[in-house]
Amino acid sequence: MDQRFLAFTKSIPQWLFRLLASAAIVGLVTFVLKKVESGLQIQLIALLYLLPVLGCTMFWGLTFGIIAGFLSFLAFNYFFIQPYFTLTVHQTQDLITLIVFLIVSVVVSQLVGQARAAERLAKKREWEAMRLYELNTALAGLTEVHAIMQAVCVKLIDTFHFQQVEISTTDTSAAGAIIVRFPLDGGKKEPCDLSLSMFTTRNTEGEIHLWFDQENLSLEETRLLAAFNNQAALAIERARLFQQEQLARVLEESDRVKTSLLSSVSHELRTPLAVIKAASSSLCNGTIEWDSAARLELVETIDEEADALNQLVGNLLDMSRIEAGVLHPMKQWNSISEIVKGVSQKMKSHLRRHSVTSEFSEDFPLVPTDYMMMEQVFTNLFSNSIKYAPENTPIRISATVKGDQAFITLSNQSPNVPEEHLKHIFDKFYRVTEADKITGTGLGLSICKGFIEAHDGKIWAENLPNGLAFNILLPLTLEGEGPKMPGDETDG
Amino acid sequence: MDKDPLILLIDDEPQILRALKTILGSAHFRVIAANTGEEGIALAATQSPDVIILDLTLPDLDGLKVCEQIREWSKTPIIVLSVRDGERDKVRALDKGADDYLTKPFNIEELLARIRVALRHSAQSLGNRETIIRAGSLTVDLARHLVMLNDEEVKLTATEFKLLAYLAANADRVLTHQSILTHVWGFEESDHVEYLRVYIGQLRRKIETDADNPRILITDSGIGYRFRTAD
Repeated sequence: MDQRFLAFTKSIPQWLFRLLASAAIVGLVTFVLKKVESGLQIQLIALLYLLPVLGCTMFWGLTFGIIAGFLSFLAFNYFFIQPYFTLTVHQTQDLITLIVFLIVSVVVSQLVGQARAAERLAKKREWEAMRLYELNTALAGLTEVHAIMQAVCVKLIDTFHFQQVEISTTDTSAAGAIIVRFPLDGGKKEPCDLSLSMFTTRNTEGEIHLWFDQENLSLEETRLLAAFNNQAALAIERARLFQQEQLARVLEESDRVKTSLLSSVSHELRTPLAVIKAASSSLCNGTIEWDSAARLELVETIDEEADALNQLVGNLLDMSRIEAGVLHPMKQWNSISEIVKGVSQKMKSHLRRHSVTSEFSEDFPLVPTDYMMMEQVFTNLFSNSIKYAPENTPIRISATVKGDQAFITLSNQSPNVPEEHLKHIFDKFYRVTEADKITGTGLGLSICKGFIEAHDGKIWAENLPNGLAFNILLPLTLEGEGPKMPGDETDG
Repeated sequence: MDKDPLILLIDDEPQILRALKTILGSAHFRVIAANTGEEGIALAATQSPDVIILDLTLPDLDGLKVCEQIREWSKTPIIVLSVRDGERDKVRALDKGADDYLTKPFNIEELLARIRVALRHSAQSLGNRETIIRAGSLTVDLARHLVMLNDEEVKLTATEFKLLAYLAANADRVLTHQSILTHVWGFEESDHVEYLRVYIGQLRRKIETDADNPRILITDSGIGYRFRTAD
C-alpha cells in the first residue's frame, strides 16, 4: 500500500506536465491555424486539429489523447465556428462537423493509443524476456553457490541499476551462510530499501537485499525482479543438490575403498603376523631344543616379517594422507640419482635376485622434490618390479631432460599388462593378477601416483617389447625458478 | 667412572620400556625410565644420566618442549625416537639440541650404536677433541687440513674441506641440512639444500671408493647427512 501511494505522489508532476503540454500543443495549433484561417475551409481545419490529438496519444497515451481531443473540440468550436468566441453553434453543418470531429478524434486516439500500448507492452515483455534469458545464460553451468550468487548480483545491478545488492544464503551447511555483496563498497547503510526471500518449493534458500539508486520500481520491473528472485533461488537450490550428490558420491567411493581396504589389509596383516607368532612361540616353547641355525632362521623370519608389517603400515598411512588430501610435499632441490641409489641400497636384500642399473648423467639437474615421498615412489616401483619381473632380470632406471621437465623411466622385464588394464594399475586396490598368486595390497602404485601428482608430475605405465616401463615426468622448476648455486671456486 | 653408563628412557608405552630395559640392561647399561615428560625432566635433573632417549610423542608435554627444557641446563646427549613421517619433528628436535634420532620401529643394533656415539661425543666435549678421524681408508686431519685416501692426499676446495671437516668432527652423528648450511655457507644461505646436494656429490666422487654406493657420507632421508666411521 505504502509503495503505491509513494508511486502516486511521485507521478503527479508528470501527469500535470502532460496535461499542460497537451493544452499547450492544442493552443499552439489554434494559434497557427488562426493566422492562416482565411485560406482554409472549416473541414480542413477540423482535419488539422486531429494532429495534436494524434501527437498526444502517441507520446503520452490514450488519456491525454482524449483530453487533447476535447480541448481541440472546444478550441475549434470557440475560435473557428461562427459565431466566433462563443461555444454556441448556428449552422447544422458546423454542428455535424464538430460532432464528427469529436467522434473521430476519440476513435483515432483510442486506436492509436491501443496500438501504442500494445507495442510498449511487447517491448517491455521483450526486454523482460531478454533480461531473464541473460540471467539464465549467466547461471547455466554454474554449480557453485558462491559463483551463482555473484552472477545474480552482477545481473541485478546491470538490469535494475541498483546502488547495491547483497545476497545471503540460509545457514544450512557446516560452512555457514554465504554472503555476497556487490559492489563491495556501495556504502549504503542498513536497512535496505527492499528485501526478498528466495523460496523454492522445498525451502528458503536465502535472501536478497536491495538498495535503490533513486527511483522506485515500476510494475514491470517488480515483476521481473520476482522472476530474477525465482531463478536465483532455483539455481542455488540446484547447486546445493548438485553438491549433495557429489558428496554422496564421494562417500560412496570412500565406503567402497574402505571395504576393499579392510579385506585386503586384514589378509596382508595376518600373513606376517601368523609367521611372527609361529616363529616367536616356537622360540618361547621351552620343551624344544633349537640348534643355533634353526634359531637364527626363526629370528630372521621374525625380523623380515616385522619389516613387511612396517612397510604395510607405512603404505596405509601414505594412502590415508593421499585420501585426506593433506599431502604437502616439502620440495627441496634433490638429486634423483642419489634418491634412487639410496633406495636400491636400502632394498639390497630384496633386490638380490635382480640387477639394478641406473643411468644418470653427472650433470643431470637437481629436481625439486620431497625426499621422503620420492624415496617411497622408487621403493614401491622396485617392490613392484621385484614381484612381477622374473628372477635374474635387469631393472633399469634412466633420466633425461625434456623441456622444463625431468623424464624418469624405470623398466623391468615384467610380463606385459593388457592395454585395458594399463591405465588402471595406478588405481587403488586394482590388481591385474589374482590376489592369491602374488601378495600385495594394490596400494603401492596408487601411492606412487598420489605422490607424483602432489609434485604436479605425471606417472604412467607402458608396455615394452620385453617388459614394462614406468614413466615419470616431474617439473624442473620450483616456483618458476631453477636451483641457486654458490659462487664457483677452483680446486686449491 | 667404572660404573656402567646410566640411560634415561622417556617413553609412555610400557611395551617399549619393558623391551628396552631388558635389552639395554643386558648390553651393560643401567636404565631408569619415565612415563611422562615432567617425570623425565625431573629424573634428568636429579639422576644426571649419561644419555637420554626421548620419545617425541608423550602424554603430557610435547617431546620437543622436553628436549628444549633439558637443553637449557644440561648437555647430556639426547636421542630422539619418532615415527615415520615425523621428519619435520625430528629436524626440529635436532635443531633444538637433540643429538640424534631413530625412527620407530628401529633396529636395536642401531640404537646401541647411536648410544655409543653419543657417549663418545660427550666424553670428547669434556676432554681433548680428536683431530684425526678415520673412516675405512679415509683419514681426515682437522688440525693439518689434510685429507688422505689410501695414503694419497685428496685435493679439496676450501668449501669442500670445510664441509667434510664439519661432518667428520661430528662423526657418526646426524647433522641437519640447516646446521651444515649455516656452518659452511652462513646463516643467510641455510635454506639452499641444493648447495649441499652438489657439494656432497662432489665430495663423494673424491673420497668414496664407489660414489654410487657411499659408505662414508651417508644421506639421512629428509633430515641431513652423517659421516660414518664404521659400516
